[in-house]
Amino acid sequence: MRKDIIAVFLIVLIVAVLIGGTDIQSVDEYYLTHIDDITPDSETVTLSIRCDTILDNYDDLDPTLRSEEFVPKDGVILPPTEYVLRHGDTAFDILDRATRHNKIQMEYQGEDRTGYGSVYIKGINNLYEYSCGPLSGWIYRVDGEIRNIGCSKDTLRDGQTVEFIYTCDLGRDIGNSTVTEGSDMP
Amino acid sequence: MEILHIEDLSFRYPKAERNALSSVSFSVKRGEFIVVCGESGCGKTTLLRLLKSEISPAGDLSGSVKYLGEDSLEIGFVMQDPDSQIVTDTVWHELAFGLENLGLPCDVIRRRVGETACYFGIEELFRRKTDGLSGGQKQLLNLAAVTAMQPKVLILDEPTGQLDPIAASEFIATLSKLNRELGMTVILAEHRLDEVFPIADRVLVMEDGRAVLFDLPEKIGGELMKLGKDHPMLEALPSTVRICGSLGYEEKIPITVREGRDFIENHFGGKKAVLPEKEYIPGDSIAVELKNVFFRYERDLPDILRGTSAKIYAGEIFAILGGNGSGKTTMLNVIGGLLKPYRGKVLVAERPVGAYKGNSLYRQNLAILPQNPRALFVRDTVGADLAEVPEARGVKKSEREALVVSVAKRLKILHLLKKNPFDLSGGEQQKCALAKVLLSEPRIVLLDEPTKGIDASAKRGLSEILSELKSAGVTVIIVTHDTEFAAENADRCALFFDGELIAEDIPQRFFGGNTFYTTAANRIVREVCPNAVTVGQAVGSLANGDTK
Amino acid sequence: MKAFGSFHPAVLLTYFVAIIGIFMFASNPVMRVTALLGGILFCLLLQKKREIPGNLGFYIPLFLLVAVTNPLFSHAGVTPLFFLNGNPVTLEASVYGVFLAVTVIGVMMWCKCYSEIMTGDKFLYLFGSIVPKLSLTLSMAFRFLPLFVRRMKTVTTARRGLGLYSQRGFVDRIKGTGQVFLSVISWSLENAMETSMSMRARAYGKAKRTSFSLFRFTMRDGVMIFVTLLLFALTVTGMASGATDFFFYPRIGELSLSPLAVTAYSSFAILAFLPFVIEVRGALLWRYYISRI
Repeated sequence: MRKDIIAVFLIVLIVAVLIGGTDIQSVDEYYLTHIDDITPDSETVTLSIRCDTILDNYDDLDPTLRSEEFVPKDGVILPPTEYVLRHGDTAFDILDRATRHNKIQMEYQGEDRTGYGSVYIKGINNLYEYSCGPLSGWIYRVDGEIRNIGCSKDTLRDGQTVEFIYTCDLGRDIGNSTVTEGSDMP
Repeated sequence: MEILHIEDLSFRYPKAERNALSSVSFSVKRGEFIVVCGESGCGKTTLLRLLKSEISPAGDLSGSVKYLGEDSLEIGFVMQDPDSQIVTDTVWHELAFGLENLGLPCDVIRRRVGETACYFGIEELFRRKTDGLSGGQKQLLNLAAVTAMQPKVLILDEPTGQLDPIAASEFIATLSKLNRELGMTVILAEHRLDEVFPIADRVLVMEDGRAVLFDLPEKIGGELMKLGKDHPMLEALPSTVRICGSLGYEEKIPITVREGRDFIENHFGGKKAVLPEKEYIPGDSIAVELKNVFFRYERDLPDILRGTSAKIYAGEIFAILGGNGSGKTTMLNVIGGLLKPYRGKVLVAERPVGAYKGNSLYRQNLAILPQNPRALFVRDTVGADLAEVPEARGVKKSEREALVVSVAKRLKILHLLKKNPFDLSGGEQQKCALAKVLLSEPRIVLLDEPTKGIDASAKRGLSEILSELKSAGVTVIIVTHDTEFAAENADRCALFFDGELIAEDIPQRFFGGNTFYTTAANRIVREVCPNAVTVGQAVGSLANGDTK
Repeated sequence: MKAFGSFHPAVLLTYFVAIIGIFMFASNPVMRVTALLGGILFCLLLQKKREIPGNLGFYIPLFLLVAVTNPLFSHAGVTPLFFLNGNPVTLEASVYGVFLAVTVIGVMMWCKCYSEIMTGDKFLYLFGSIVPKLSLTLSMAFRFLPLFVRRMKTVTTARRGLGLYSQRGFVDRIKGTGQVFLSVISWSLENAMETSMSMRARAYGKAKRTSFSLFRFTMRDGVMIFVTLLLFALTVTGMASGATDFFFYPRIGELSLSPLAVTAYSSFAILAFLPFVIEVRGALLWRYYISRI
C-alpha cells in the first residue's frame, strides 16, 4: 500500500519528464532573446499588453495581486511597441518574444495540452485566468478586432496591431459581444 | 421454606399428539440444590422453561407453577449452547446487559459488574471480545451475566453439555459455590451425574414427561432398581452408584468416589483380584501410520505435533485421550488430510495422504465426524442431507434412496428421515451425522469427541454402532475426553501429551497403569482389583469373590 | 504508555476535530509546521520502536516527492529559478511545494494518531450515546459477525472431511458455497431464537434500558476539554480576523506578527504539542513510581 503511493508519484514524475523533456535553461538564458533590429525593409507589427479593465473591477481582484507590481496604475503592462515580423510569425510568437525580451512573466498551456490545437495563455505578469472574477482571462485583438482563433494559429501580416487585453467579463467589457463562454480564448 | 411449588403440572405443545409433561408435582425449598435428570426428550427442558414465565413455551397448560418470591425476574436461566446465549460483543457489556435492561443507573451497574467479575474470577477476561473465549469461559460468562442480576433461583438446562470435562467440572464447582456461599437455589438438568450427585440435595428423575422419583441422591440408585432392574436411567448414574448398586446394596448407596472406596474397603477389604487380560492381537495391515510428524498453525506459533509417531491397525478401535487444547483434534485433522504437516509422513492405507488426488482420500476410504454434528447438516430434512453423500460420490439417483434407507436402518434413524436436522436432540443429531459419515462407506472413520452432549442411552447406541463397524472391519479412531467411553469401547488407548502419543496400550493396562488419568470405576476398585477399568469389570471382579 | 488515550472518547474526538480542522483551514506555514512537528512527536510515542525505520522510509520520500511535484506543474510566482521546457520553475511554487508536503504528511500523521487512539469501541460508544438502540444493535452485530464466519469455517471444514466438496469447477464450487451459506443462515436463525430467549430471560424489554459503558467523564476530562476548546477558540479568533492569512503567490507574503497572530500561533502550538506533553509526563510519572518501588 505504502509502496504503491510512492510508486504512483514516481510514475507521474517520470511520465511528465518523458513527455515534457528535460530542457533546462537558466533565467538569463531564457530571457536572452534576439530581437531583430528594425530596418526600413523589415516587416513589423505593433504589440501592446493591457489590463485596464481590472482597474474598474478592483474589488474582484485577488487580494494578493492588489499591487502596482502586477496591475500598473494606468493598466499598461507593455505600451504599444513595434516588433519585427519574421516569416510565418503568429500572435503567440510575437507575444513570447516580447515578454521574454521585457522579462514579463508569462505562462501558457502548450498546443498539445489544450485540446484545440493552439496555445492557451494562462497568465501574463502573474495575472491569471480567474484572477479577477470568474469571467476573467486574457484575450487578444488584431487591428481592433477580437479574434476567436488560437493565438498560435493566427499568422500575422505586416503592419498589423496586436493587443493582449485582460478581460473581466468574457470580452464584453472591451466592446465585444461575439465571445461567449466556452469559446476559445487566445 | 418453599420457594417454588409445582402442582399437578401438565403441558402439551400445540399440535402435539401427547403431553410433554403429565401431572408433575414437586416443591423446592429455598437454598436447595436440585438435579433434574432423565433421558433426552423426557420433558426436562419443557419443565425448566415453564418455571420461568418470561420464556415459557406456548401450549396447553394445566396445574400450577408458583414462584413464592417477589418477581419472576429473580429466576436466572442458563441454557446449553454457550454461543447462542451471548448477546453482545464484549465480556463487560455481556455482564452489564441484564442490568441495563432493568434500567439501573450506571454507577450501580459498574459496581455489580465489577463484583460479579471478581467473584467468578474472570477479571482478566473483562475487556476481551466474547467471540475469542473458549467454550468453558463462555458458559461461565453466561452464568456470571445471569448472576449479576442477583437472582434468588438459578435454573440451568444442561449447561455443561457442550463443554469438555475439565471446563464442566469448573462450571459445576462454581455452581456449587454459588449455592453454598450465597444460598442460591439451584435447579440443574444434567446427564453427567458423577459430579453433581455429591453436591445435590435432591434428585428429580423424569421419564416420559412424568416425575418418577424425587429423593435424596443416595436413595436414587435403590429406588430406580425397584422400578426395574434394567431401567434405562440406571446407566446414567455415577459409577459408584452403579458398582455398589449392582453388588446388591440398595439402602444408602455411596455417591462419591471416596465413599465408594470406603464401601469396597468395608465389604471386600483384603481381597485381591486380578482380572484376566483379554489378549489383543491387532491385524497385520496398518490403516493409518504417522512417522515423526510435525505441525504448527503459523510460523511463529509453537509446534502442536512434535514428532508424533503412531501405528493404527486396520479394524481396531483406537482411542486418543488427552487434556484440553493438547492438540488431539489437530492430530485428527492431520490424519484426515485437512491440515498439512510441515515435516514427517502421514500414511493412510499405506499411501501418503498427499498422494490422494482430488477427494479420492474421502471416497470409500476415510471420513471425519466433526465435533459439532450440526456442522454436517445443510438441507431441510435429514433424508435430503443424507442423500447428498451418494450424490457426491456419483451414485445413480435411483439407487441413492436405497443406500440411505439401509444406513438409516442400521443406525435406527428411519423415523427421523423426514425431520429437520435442527429439531433433533443432541443424540439424534449425532446418529444422523454418523449416518452421513457411513454413507461414504469409509474404511477408516475418525470421530472427534463423539460423546459430547449426548446422554447415556445415546452413548450406548453409539457403542453398539462402533462394535458393529468393528465387526465389518472398519478402523475407528476416536478422540475423546470420556475415559469411561474409551475404556468400554476401545481396543487400544493412547495419551496425547506434549505433541506426542504416549503409553499406547489396551484399556485395562492403560487405565490400570494410570493414577490420575483413569476411569471412576478404576479409582473405586483399584485397591482390590487394579486392572478393572469399567463398571462391568469392577462389578465382575467383586461379585465373584467372597464378602467379609 | 497511553496517557492521552485514557481520556474520555468525547474529549478525544473534540481534540482531534479541533486540531485536524484548524490544520486543514489555516494555510499558514507557522501553524502547519508546528502541527506537523506535534503530530510527528505524538506518532513516535504511539508506535513501536521497530516500526520507526520503515515509517521514515515511507514518509521522507513521500515528502520529497510532493515537494518536487508542485513546482513542476505550477509555474506561477514572480521569482523564476530556472526554466524547464520553456516554463519557469519559480521560488514561490517550490516553497509552496514544501508547504504542501508539510500539509500532506501532517494530515497523515494526525490521522494515524487518530486511528491509534480512537479505537472502534470508543467510536461506537460515542455513536451509541447519541442513539442507545443503535449501540446495542451494533454490539449484537459485532457479536454475530465473527460467530457467523466461524460457523462458515466449521461447516466448510466438516464437509471437506467427508469429501463433500466439488473439484469440478467454478459453478459447482459456487453452488457448494451457497449451500453452506444457506445452512449457516438457518443455523443462525435457530440460534437467534435462543438468543432472544436469553435476552428475555434477562429482563429485556421489561423496563427502560440504561446504556452502560466503561468510559467515565471525570474532572480530568473536564479540564482537558475546557483547555482544548479554549485553545481552539483563541486560534480560530486569530484565523477569523485574517491575522494568520498568508500568501505564496505571486510573491511570498509576509508573516504577520501582530498580537492576534502571535496568540493564534502559540495557542495552536500548545494544542498541537499537548498530547506529546501528556504522554511524556505520563511516562515520567510512571518511571518515578517504579523507582520508588
